[in-house]
Amino acid sequence: MKIAVCIKRVPDSETRVKIASDGKSLDEAGVKFILNPYDEFAVEEALRRKEQAGAGEVVIVSVGPAAAQETIRTALAMGADRGVLLQTDTIPADGLEIARALAAEVRDSGYDLILFGKMAIDDYNHQVGPMVAELLDLPCVTAIAHLEIGGGKGTAEREIEGGVEIVDFPLPAVLTAEKGLNEPRYPALKGIMAAKKKPLEVKPASLGAGGLEVLALTPPPQRKEGRVVGEGPAAVLELLRLLREEAKVL
Amino acid sequence: MIPAQYQPPLPLNKLLVPVGTPGAGDRMELDVVIVGAGPAGLATAIELAQLAKRDGTELNIGVLEKAGALGEHCLSGAVVNPRAFRELFPGLHDSDFPFRAPVRGEAVYLLTANRRLRLPTPPTMRNKGNYVASLCEIVRWLGEKAEALGVNIFTGFPAASLLVDGPRVAGVRTAATGLDRAGNPLANYLAPNDLVAQVTVLAEGTRGMLAQAWSEWQQVTAENPQIFALGVKEIWETKRPLGTIVHTLGWPLASDAFGGSFMYPLAPNLVALGLVVGLDYRDSALDVHGLFQRMKLHPLFRRYLEGGEMVEWGAKTIPEGGYYSVPARRSGDSVVIVGDSAGFVDVPSLKGIHYAMQSGMFAARAVFAALKHGDPSAARLGDYDRMVNASFIIHDLYRTRNMRLAFKHGFYTGGLKAGLMTLTGGRFPGGKIAMSRDVDVPRRIAPGVSPGLGVSPGLGVSPGLGVSPGPGVSPGPVVSPGPVVPDGRLTFSKVDGVFKSGNATRDTIPTHLIVGRDVSPEAADFYARLCPAGVYERVDRGLRVNAPNCIDCKATDVLGPRWTPREGGSGPKYKRM
Repeated sequence: MKIAVCIKRVPDSETRVKIASDGKSLDEAGVKFILNPYDEFAVEEALRRKEQAGAGEVVIVSVGPAAAQETIRTALAMGADRGVLLQTDTIPADGLEIARALAAEVRDSGYDLILFGKMAIDDYNHQVGPMVAELLDLPCVTAIAHLEIGGGKGTAEREIEGGVEIVDFPLPAVLTAEKGLNEPRYPALKGIMAAKKKPLEVKPASLGAGGLEVLALTPPPQRKEGRVVGEGPAAVLELLRLLREEAKVL
Repeated sequence: MIPAQYQPPLPLNKLLVPVGTPGAGDRMELDVVIVGAGPAGLATAIELAQLAKRDGTELNIGVLEKAGALGEHCLSGAVVNPRAFRELFPGLHDSDFPFRAPVRGEAVYLLTANRRLRLPTPPTMRNKGNYVASLCEIVRWLGEKAEALGVNIFTGFPAASLLVDGPRVAGVRTAATGLDRAGNPLANYLAPNDLVAQVTVLAEGTRGMLAQAWSEWQQVTAENPQIFALGVKEIWETKRPLGTIVHTLGWPLASDAFGGSFMYPLAPNLVALGLVVGLDYRDSALDVHGLFQRMKLHPLFRRYLEGGEMVEWGAKTIPEGGYYSVPARRSGDSVVIVGDSAGFVDVPSLKGIHYAMQSGMFAARAVFAALKHGDPSAARLGDYDRMVNASFIIHDLYRTRNMRLAFKHGFYTGGLKAGLMTLTGGRFPGGKIAMSRDVDVPRRIAPGVSPGLGVSPGLGVSPGLGVSPGPGVSPGPVVSPGPVVPDGRLTFSKVDGVFKSGNATRDTIPTHLIVGRDVSPEAADFYARLCPAGVYERVDRGLRVNAPNCIDCKATDVLGPRWTPREGGSGPKYKRM
């Protein structure tokens, strides 16, 4: 089983985000970067598939700055075999450009599965996985919450509004991971040591500007301050009244 | 109330594990394992790696760090003396170091509730040539240097026990990860790891658990017990720039508590400020976080903070005992203790980082020589102690040996004595001022003081305190103006603070705090006020422990419930502390 996992280096979700002076990007000063949490599910799933198959290779591919090597090393410490960084200092806003670079990298390399997180927690675009599938002319199942592989084909479950959708697909295929697909492992001490010696190829990414441009970023409006309604049983009635009359949610 | 009455002993049976004891998952062999990636541990690692490189030997060095990422558990003021940096990196200039800005001016004030009196800067507190810095940033920078030299840094791996082999330290066992509240393994459970090494370096920082365990086991003592202070700190983005560093004494502390505040510009509109209070305070109702919140209402601070935003909060203890509290030896068979864990802090100058780094460098030299001889015995590693004893570390600490201690009888006598000590280069009054452990200092319980007030009922309430309110300027009228109700703008609750520390510890980890048996309601109140992170709550006549709130400051490890490490990455996530 040969699996590619495409990952992204993103700001930690705990980060207090500031908009840079250009008004359309993040101020990266003091920001901690992590492996996109949805991609962690994808890495974990790839490792489990390989372990289940008893043989194979898990390759981590990323588009990002030189510092994304650290992010790739995190996945290698979890147990992936090698990494490829398509290096660029600026990530275009247009996911199609990223998808083109990734598709060119994984095309014709004999992968049975190409895994993604369902989205990156910085741009929420949900685009790159399906785009890569389209560019490679492969089947694509997005936001999978469960996966079975066997006999050259797979079955994935997707949690949809009010139920579960079960999808059969042939291999090779592109899948994107939803939260709950698995519980990602922590890198073990030996894994961290081993990751330092695993191959990590760095080559320049050839990216176009794409068709999208970010014009401005603005912070969300300040949340209104909460109000303490009161204490004890009397507060329940008051709360109900406010929910009914002021908030109009009941 | 004497806190010692309720403090459980160190769990030595868990902290000292014979090497080979089952229970570990992976076992890894290293030449040197360093516990703690702070300035002391990383300076040790860097110097060792540089010595090995120069010598052409291969040395396998591993650094364990309990924080999820470098620097996230490090907190200091800080104004840094650059001398250890210069020695560790002879090829670099001051401008290459991870400092924010040189100290451009400084002022020391004595505060009253509304006013301030500028004092002449005591000689020990002069900071010409020093730099304002964030310890988090220093540590991340040192970590990069260490990794570039081939040092393995394992973040998210707390050391939970010493592996022992006869009288020798054989390495450490890490804490398990992925346990539920009852201690049962979860799906992502990771067993403890054994790191076996020729030499173990304990660089755990303030109130090091393994350093305590080793000293107790090997019966290594000091002339005085170690004493501690608790500092609570915030970082603010301000509208009004701050140009100089500021220290204050007096208000809001009562005269029977030792401490003071600091306010430093990390950048003109980025200000670090905090309040530090000795844990030998007498009033059981004292609450450092609460006092710090009150302090910010003073015009001196308020004029900078108003309209700004508090962006980070944190707290940490500081070993304050100085010269007489440094353990008789900081080395043993296959082990050395460096930095804050060894007590290398000079309170009168408010410095520890350069001592920590320098002690690490001395340790590295002794360890390297011992490994070259194939003999990491106590006799060989004793070179480390000899180097420290002959250096500016012990020289500086000796000069100010009784200054902090003089304040044990209150602010006025302390101030007077400390002044005479400065004049006489430490020779006044001769001899040693004997100290008790903080945990043995009796606490006054004032009836009717509501919890969280953090206000002292005043001088002379308890006879025999030895407080002598002499003539001259009073550090402030000691009145109880009522509790500070956090407004969420200038003042914050403990829960707000924990949130701003970045602490996102999962709620379902087992509790890591060992509480004594039969804790009295008074002791429960005492813990609730002492802990800056709201871990302890008095509930009726009992104590509730909100362990995930813990930000590893170690204050209650000094005065009450014992601290042990949790799974890696728990606790605060400091960025610029």
